[in-house]
Amino acid sequence: MAKTKEKHGFRLTSEDVVFNIINYTIFILFALICLFPFYYLFINTISDNSLVGAGKIQLVPKGIHFNNYVGLTRINGLGTSFIVSIARTVIGTVLMIGASAMVGYLVTKQEMWGRKFWYRFLVITMYFNAGLIPWYMNMSMLGLTNNFLAYIIPGIISPYNIILVKTYIESIPAELEESASIDGAGYFRIFRCIIFPLCKPILATIAIFGAVGHWNSFTDSLILMSGKPELYTLQHRLYTYMNEATNLAAMIQQGGSDISNLATQTSMNMRPIKFTVAMATVIPILLVYPFMSKYFEKGIMLGAVKG
Amino acid sequence: MTATKTVKQAKQPIDFIGYFLRVLIILTLVCLFVPALNPTHMSELMNEGDSFFTSGISYDGIAGGFQRAISRGYIEKSVLVYTYIGSLISLIGMVAMLAGCAMTIGEIRFKRLGAKIVLGGSVVSMAGLVFVKLQQPGFTNAANPERIKPLEPIGAIIFIVLVGICLLLSLLYLLKLPKATKEDGWVMEGKFRLFLMMAPFIVLVFLFSYLPLWGWRYAFFDYKPGQTLTMDNFVGFKWFTYLFENAATRADITRVMTNTLAMSGIGLAMSWLPLAFAIFLTEIKCGPVRRAVQTITTIPNFISWVLVYTVAFALFSSDGFVNQFLLSTGLATESQDFLIGNDGIWIKMYLWGTWKGLGWGAIIYIAGISGIDQALYEAATIDGAGRFQKIWHITIPGLMPTFFVQFILSISNILSNGMDQYLVFRNATNTSGIQVLDLYVYMLGLGSSNQIPLSTVVGMAKSIISVILLFSANKASKAIRGSGIV
Repeated sequence: MAKTKEKHGFRLTSEDVVFNIINYTIFILFALICLFPFYYLFINTISDNSLVGAGKIQLVPKGIHFNNYVGLTRINGLGTSFIVSIARTVIGTVLMIGASAMVGYLVTKQEMWGRKFWYRFLVITMYFNAGLIPWYMNMSMLGLTNNFLAYIIPGIISPYNIILVKTYIESIPAELEESASIDGAGYFRIFRCIIFPLCKPILATIAIFGAVGHWNSFTDSLILMSGKPELYTLQHRLYTYMNEATNLAAMIQQGGSDISNLATQTSMNMRPIKFTVAMATVIPILLVYPFMSKYFEKGIMLGAVKG
Repeated sequence: MTATKTVKQAKQPIDFIGYFLRVLIILTLVCLFVPALNPTHMSELMNEGDSFFTSGISYDGIAGGFQRAISRGYIEKSVLVYTYIGSLISLIGMVAMLAGCAMTIGEIRFKRLGAKIVLGGSVVSMAGLVFVKLQQPGFTNAANPERIKPLEPIGAIIFIVLVGICLLLSLLYLLKLPKATKEDGWVMEGKFRLFLMMAPFIVLVFLFSYLPLWGWRYAFFDYKPGQTLTMDNFVGFKWFTYLFENAATRADITRVMTNTLAMSGIGLAMSWLPLAFAIFLTEIKCGPVRRAVQTITTIPNFISWVLVYTVAFALFSSDGFVNQFLLSTGLATESQDFLIGNDGIWIKMYLWGTWKGLGWGAIIYIAGISGIDQALYEAATIDGAGRFQKIWHITIPGLMPTFFVQFILSISNILSNGMDQYLVFRNATNTSGIQVLDLYVYMLGLGSSNQIPLSTVVGMAKSIISVILLFSANKASKAIRGSGIV
């Protein structure tokens, strides 16, 4: 690696220079495109609200204040949604990790009664699903509509994660387990004292994916919680706010000028608030992302070698 | 090892009663989830979609439909409360039966204890059932039977019979089982212990992945929300033919399929983009820049579609950044809402998908590139190959297997664009262009039209075609490169 670097350092032809300039420009531009929207949202939440309303905040924040963030606590229902989102992320992820580790371990045990059958029974579910309506009917039959458990229980089993854990456990030397079982440890003890600690790297990876999935999901909230707004997730809240804005915009386009002025006014006044809610949902991810990105990348690699 | 062998030989007579008892208990527990067999379903006001399990765990499941009837005094509230208590007791008994049932697969000590627990559980469960059944006069003799509309629950009889047999059988089992001797320990064979540890997870898989298939039956009935499925509204394949005979739905399907295939098609046609992204990113030799670009471009993959829409709204709505910018620089005289309307919606959706997923999609190829043997590049450099020649003759062939797998997978997912993205970007003015199959199923079934059977038919067709596509893709992959993808 060092060698090639050296070569490039020494022999830069004019062609290389042109290539590098274009290449760097394109990538840095794309990175900016990925980053700018968050920056734009952010400066709009901390700038003077009347300037934001007038569309004056484009590249630099003006009249910096944090009242919008303080004001979030006054929005009805937002606090409960925040708690619901955090609760489902934490509880859902912990249970998913526990189940993936346990099942991943169990399916490596050749002597289990009907192991092959049960493993296939599990894996096949990755390749089909009954469809949205039967799923909804099933959830309502199980009493999981308008019920917090609907966020948790169905997500406990994740065949894909189980396969990842299983593959990982198979790479652990079997001697470790054998010696423990000779010492008289039962299956659960072996799992708890040997397998689980050794699996931590892979479990960390799937934990992060699971947590992001929980934090970001909103269709389950949308479909299952229609009768209980206090169980809406944060993403679902944001969706309803944004939806109002869109409907307003569509109305403005179709309606006359009278509504138009009034509606524009309200919609403009709402902008900083909406963006603040959006920032509140994205900040947790942006905060953990830099520390977690190596796990994310590890995760996709594990997926790639699965085949 | 020898100890377990002798235990096995001692257990020569086949444990018929045990087998039968276990099968019966599992059957009883399955019946818990069948709404048609709900013993508490003693009035038409009750939600017929609720199973006995739902009735047992939530009072609302029983009393939900009776709010008016109670407030008007048509029925005693106590009747409903007692029904709920009875169901709860019965359910607790069944949980005990299940626990006992699990124990009976152990050796003699476990068997005896298991049989005792099953016996106790079935007594409790039976008591609960009888208590529920005793509430029936409360419904039939209610103050206003016309409003209450009493029903005769067949489930009650079936449950009483099933639990009754369990009760007798466990009693018989207990009498037949030999007494445990001093040397008999609490032993269970390893294979069964492992199975029991696995069993709760198997139940979860069954409940959330297999049980929904039972919902396919809605495709064959003339069902409206809140109704029962009876043979009267069985319509056979009516909805399947309706889909194509009715001009309106036919037009819908054509439109939705066009959108779905167009958007998937654009995705397939551009599937080389992450590959190119990875190749050119690795051409950036300055490490910190390369890593920074890679990290930043993967961020959007981890935010939700709702947030992507918020971003789109902030930038492209009529008072968003783009319009502000165009107006203030004088490039435009009038603001324009880019999120309204159907123009170029397929491309827009592709671009948002790319914004979100490009950096992430490239990681797999970046890893692939670092796995290519450096000696190949060195040899090529010595032979005088240029940058693009090396890319063309070494990097791309090296990444082809990965690309192929990704490509095949996206072909098999051609009908599954997902719903989130299109749902959040949808509004009254762009529905016709943005509606993909998944969104159509959602809006048809759970939107305002509530066409449950029709929506089930579409979802069913989609599921079946997707599975066929996946297995064809797998076959093709096996034929072309000798190994499958699933």
